[in-house]
Amino acid sequence: MGFDVSFGFEQIAFLLTAALTLAAALAMVFSRQVFHAILLMIAVFVGVATFYVLLGVSFMAGMQLFIYVGGVSVLAVIAIMVTRGFMGSDRPRPARTTYGAAIVAGSVFIGLAWLILRVPWPTVPLVAASENDLALLGQVLVSRAGFVVPFELSSLLLFVVLLGALYIARER
Amino acid sequence: MVPLSWYLLLAAALFSIGLYGILARRNLVMILMSLELLLNAVNINLIAFSRYLEEGQTIGRVFALFVYVIAAAETALGLAIMIAVWRTHQTVAVDEIDALKG
Repeated sequence: MGFDVSFGFEQIAFLLTAALTLAAALAMVFSRQVFHAILLMIAVFVGVATFYVLLGVSFMAGMQLFIYVGGVSVLAVIAIMVTRGFMGSDRPRPARTTYGAAIVAGSVFIGLAWLILRVPWPTVPLVAASENDLALLGQVLVSRAGFVVPFELSSLLLFVVLLGALYIARER
Repeated sequence: MVPLSWYLLLAAALFSIGLYGILARRNLVMILMSLELLLNAVNINLIAFSRYLEEGQTIGRVFALFVYVIAAAETALGLAIMIAVWRTHQTVAVDEIDALKG
């Protein structure tokens, strides 16, 4: 099962961060005010970045902060400021839909947790975290044996998406 | 280190919360933000698997970076569609946007 671990600094840090992140996520999906939900979403993103630090992949933590906290959140805030009169509260759905959604989400979680707990996952990583393997990551990303085609395609995708977003959102 | 199963359970919980948000909220922005929760949960899984089970420690991170790209594209397009819908309908509640005509 993997629960017979001693509680050191890392375990306590993980549990604290997990509690904060999940509480922020729950508060986000239940929040009536859209603006509050955005602030809570930023809290969730920072929490996820903390998990990357705990995992020892600080590059991904930096990317998480850059892209999500710095990019996606600012985009969301600006888009909402642009559409005036929209920051107000969200009228709730009928209770039937909410209960249905809660049942679906709860059963997905229970099913996933059941599957996860059936497998004897490792409790320690296969190899020790390397201090600086960014060069390796970059080589994998742009080598022909690695991921150069999806890498270039993703830049094309971003270009097309930004043009498309400008076209869709333009003043008519 | 923390056992891998803790990260998997955390990601499963985050995924379920995002799924609830997508199904239960009416506001288009709330649905987009819940979608970001799903993508974050997937990224936690990818990076945790890469950290614990992968010899080279790179492929999981590469996939997570591509997920970032897709997430940024999805957010930009989603918000652009939201602004366009707001201009024409003066609402962003998904159950009131039910006309297919432009």
